[in-house]
Amino acid sequence: MRAEELKGHLDALLLAALEDGPRHGYAVMEALRQSTGGRLDLPTGTIYPALHRLEAAGLIAGSWSVVAGRRRRVYELTAAGKEALSGKRAGWRDFAAMMSAALEGRPCQGPA
Amino acid sequence: MPGPRLIRGYLAELSADLPGRIVDELADGLDETYRRYLGQGLDPDAAAQEAVAEFGEPRRIVAAFAHASRGRTTARRLLAAGPAVGMCWAVILITARAWQWPVPVVARALFGVALITVIGLLAAAALGRHYRLVCRAAAAACVGTAMLDAVMITTVLVFVHILVWPVAAAVALSACRATFALRNVPHALTG
Repeated sequence: MRAEELKGHLDALLLAALEDGPRHGYAVMEALRQSTGGRLDLPTGTIYPALHRLEAAGLIAGSWSVVAGRRRRVYELTAAGKEALSGKRAGWRDFAAMMSAALEGRPCQGPA
Repeated sequence: MPGPRLIRGYLAELSADLPGRIVDELADGLDETYRRYLGQGLDPDAAAQEAVAEFGEPRRIVAAFAHASRGRTTARRLLAAGPAVGMCWAVILITARAWQWPVPVVARALFGVALITVIGLLAAAALGRHYRLVCRAAAAACVGTAMLDAVMITTVLVFVHILVWPVAAAVALSACRATFALRNVPHALTG
């Protein structure tokens, strides 16, 4: 899956990658690779600006630590981030159900 | 960061347009990527090439940081608010026949130049692809916006002696915008 296909969904993927606990940028990318079965074709470097954007929006919080003499920034979900992730999950389920129904030519059931 | 010349060069390219704290974060991720490839049995040069390729073009990363910066968000909000605030002031200036006020031509010209400069800075911050340029343009535009608002408020309060509701509304809007702009100067500077 290419970056342009991910537009609008990257934030949800990043929030989901942080759901299990704090991670640094590289670990977030690794988690995304694992959760997508390696099908995510996204330059690793572009994950970091997206993390900064989520931090500015108050959805994740970053903190510095030192690992093996290197500075490392670790991110974790905030309460607002957890709430946003729930909302994005619900929105995605509705969207996926609607698209599946439309593409497969069967009636779509309304949101639960 | 110690390591192959290719990685040092890559980080140097990023350092030219990104602050040290961001480059430190990217260097950590790049080092992890490099070590992963080394662990897969690649020689240092090949591992560095793979790591750099996986990270993506420096230009693209810098543009993504510029796009995600708070300076850009602030600039876009100020640009969006501009027409509404400007319209309020235009109505007041036309109603009060501002062209008859005893304001020197030089002062009017300076205000016009400042207004155009601020709009240009906001556009550069809202559309630029260079992180440092976006941050600096946004910070300068915030200060400029606040100064223009202060000048407008002072001028109108000096020459319009009756505080009718359109004047009160324009003053309130401008004061809110100036406060918003000034509060966002530090955020714009730090990205």
